[in-house]
Amino acid sequence: MIENYILHILILMSIYSIFAVSYNVALGYAGLLNLGHVAFFGLGAYTSALLTKAGVPFVVAFICAGVIAAVFGYLLVYLTRELKGDYLVLATLGFSFVFTSLMLNWRWLTRGPLGLPGIAKPNIFGLVIKGNLMYFIFVLIIAAICLYIMWRIVSSPFGRLLEATRDDELGLRVLGKNTFNLKAKAMTVSAFFAGLAGSLFAHYISYIDPGTFYIMEIILILSIVIIGGVASFKGSIVGTIILILLPELLRFLSISSSILGPLRQMLYAVVLLGLLMYRPRGIFGRVDLE
Amino acid sequence: MTLGIKAVSKNFGGIHALQKASLDIKKGSITAIIGPNGSGKSTLFHVISNIIKKDGGKIEFEGKDISELADFSIARTGVARTFQEVRLFKNLTIKDHLAIAISVDDECLLKNAISKPDIDEAKIKEALRLVNLDKPLNTYATDLSYGQRKLLDLAVALAKPHSLLMLDEPVAGVNPRLRKEIKAILRTLKKKGETILLIEHDMNFVMDLADDVYVLDEGRVIAQGKPKVIQKNKKVLDAYLGE
Amino acid sequence: MAALLQFTINGLIAGSIYALVASGFSLIYSTNRFMHLAHGATVAVGGYILFTLFSLLGWPFFASAFLTLIFTGIFGVGLFRFVYLPLQNKKASNVVLLIASIALLILVANSIQLIFGATVKSIGLITVSKGLNFYGAAITPLQIIIIGVSIVIFVALYVFMKKTKLGRNMRAVADNKELASVVGINQIRVADWSFFLGSVLAGIGGILIGLEQNIFPDMGTMLIIRGFTGAVVGGITSVPGAVVGSYLLGLIENYGIWFLPSGYKDAIAFLVLLIFLVFKPTGLFGLSKGVKQ
Repeated sequence: MIENYILHILILMSIYSIFAVSYNVALGYAGLLNLGHVAFFGLGAYTSALLTKAGVPFVVAFICAGVIAAVFGYLLVYLTRELKGDYLVLATLGFSFVFTSLMLNWRWLTRGPLGLPGIAKPNIFGLVIKGNLMYFIFVLIIAAICLYIMWRIVSSPFGRLLEATRDDELGLRVLGKNTFNLKAKAMTVSAFFAGLAGSLFAHYISYIDPGTFYIMEIILILSIVIIGGVASFKGSIVGTIILILLPELLRFLSISSSILGPLRQMLYAVVLLGLLMYRPRGIFGRVDLE
Repeated sequence: MTLGIKAVSKNFGGIHALQKASLDIKKGSITAIIGPNGSGKSTLFHVISNIIKKDGGKIEFEGKDISELADFSIARTGVARTFQEVRLFKNLTIKDHLAIAISVDDECLLKNAISKPDIDEAKIKEALRLVNLDKPLNTYATDLSYGQRKLLDLAVALAKPHSLLMLDEPVAGVNPRLRKEIKAILRTLKKKGETILLIEHDMNFVMDLADDVYVLDEGRVIAQGKPKVIQKNKKVLDAYLGE
Repeated sequence: MAALLQFTINGLIAGSIYALVASGFSLIYSTNRFMHLAHGATVAVGGYILFTLFSLLGWPFFASAFLTLIFTGIFGVGLFRFVYLPLQNKKASNVVLLIASIALLILVANSIQLIFGATVKSIGLITVSKGLNFYGAAITPLQIIIIGVSIVIFVALYVFMKKTKLGRNMRAVADNKELASVVGINQIRVADWSFFLGSVLAGIGGILIGLEQNIFPDMGTMLIIRGFTGAVVGGITSVPGAVVGSYLLGLIENYGIWFLPSGYKDAIAFLVLLIFLVFKPTGLFGLSKGVKQ
């Protein structure tokens, strides 16, 4: 039993590391203020769950999860292209609220607040990934590949342009670079991987509902990115480990579940506030959150 | 190749920053734009690079009408510029800055992620040598002194492929020795055939550097000609003294 | 015809509540130039303090209501002094303040849940409300009071902002912060007062919602989204605009569910918000300052 629990934690860490790093690519490297990132995670989860329920093979559904999320990533950048600062942030937040609201109300598709139960375990050309050990190895491999790809992107000349966009967009434009395209590509890539993470999550948890992808998740990955350090890859991975682990320690305090829930949320909120007030650069961060 | 600014105007809600200003910049020359504070010099630069949309007039560069191009497109046609306030990427290194300026195909995601293209270090070192900035390539922009930042700013503009260089107050706030160095750099550039358009307040700096001088006052071109002639122009003196 | 009237009345009731939230939010935004999303939690705090004093402790209603407003106002100032001001002193950007406000919203909502439990509570001043017939539409006396009280408050707010010294100082700071301090207006005191008054307005909203519907820990999130949307529609820098925008939102929501299932009410608010943020972020009456820099 204890191995299953440890594997459960490790699986969550692997999935969230993809999610958190994808967020860092957009927020930390490209400077894209986006509080709606959880919508991409949710889109990926719902896409993958619905497609596999309709009989589509997992591999296809998995890729589609990323692609659909990526399309919405582009849409978000396009819609908010004229906005700056807190207006931009709020529009992205509004975007995720629209998503949650649609998932809640499109009952014929998503079963609304009832959610989607019984999401099948991934079936890859006949190999069914079941059991925590198999699932952990599975997500670990996928996470390694995804993180490697994202690492290649941010440490390439393209990644350098993203950082320049974050630091001084106008300065980059007068050097002849199309920053809208850069931002669109960054957000699309970021959303794609968030969508993949969402798919992995859905097939692991096997039940999702609109409440899963609410504002709390944003506080979580925001905290991860900040605690690890904005624009720091290893920071996001370390941050994921810390922030997934932390509330699990609460379990050992044998408190009732009706207290555990709000306590977990409060923990994240306090961590985030503490970071903003006392250590906004986090552990490994070089860059200030603007 | 010339830059033709034809009757360009810009209004900021009642303030006429530019009023039908016309300038003709010749290839291979150093042209200076001078004028009292608020006369519209920086606005002119912003309008040329389309960072601010003009309200009227036409701008031609190398025979083509660039009036409707986006700011980054204009930069791509060969216009390199600096700003009055030094604009650098505060979390990037010297090497990063110059690599960005030099590269022309770094915007393609796929190409960059798949193959790791080598940055031409030789070109970067050359760009630094031109401005005499002797600092390690991995120095962050924020770790440079003001003067060094001015030099990096200049190096970046020079490293970017261009046929016109627009410098907005390249020696503002700079110590006398560095001012002499920058003047020498600009002279060297001119010898190489570069076309330079420059805004400056420092009359002495302008006078023995520029081939041609335009004087702006309240958004209008009030005088134009060789430096020696401008210096004696009564209208110009009035504009400066009368403010 | 009666349906239209009913929707209009429902829209005005909802609009009144949203306007109470939005006016405080807009007051705080225009004076301090950042988005205090935790304002929603202030409404919840108001509702729960009234619940505690009146329903749990059994104190007289008007005394409880009065104390609720005082405590809620102080709560708002507390958030400013303990979180926002320290961040501002560290030169935090508006985005950081916004993120902090979201964290505060979650913190407060969960604290309420820990203390009072997740179940919905009602305040029970008026037990059964019989609707009065108004040309075929139903409206309860309490709902009439809500609309009436709100309108009175907004008029009073308008007079306060235009005629009193504090009101003028707030508008001066909202208009031009640097100039205001040069002229000798104490910015922090003005900020304190903006938070106090804005939070009192939220408290009034909390009381009225508590009486008319019920209170639950997460009520702040839904309310701040509506209040914020109303403020954006009207123009976030304009307090009267925020009020008008909120009434408009209330009406749009209620006319909207004529065509769509009632579950879509939330979606309507978000869509209106998104549409305005993308196409007209300055709202119908607001100024252009600070949107596109």
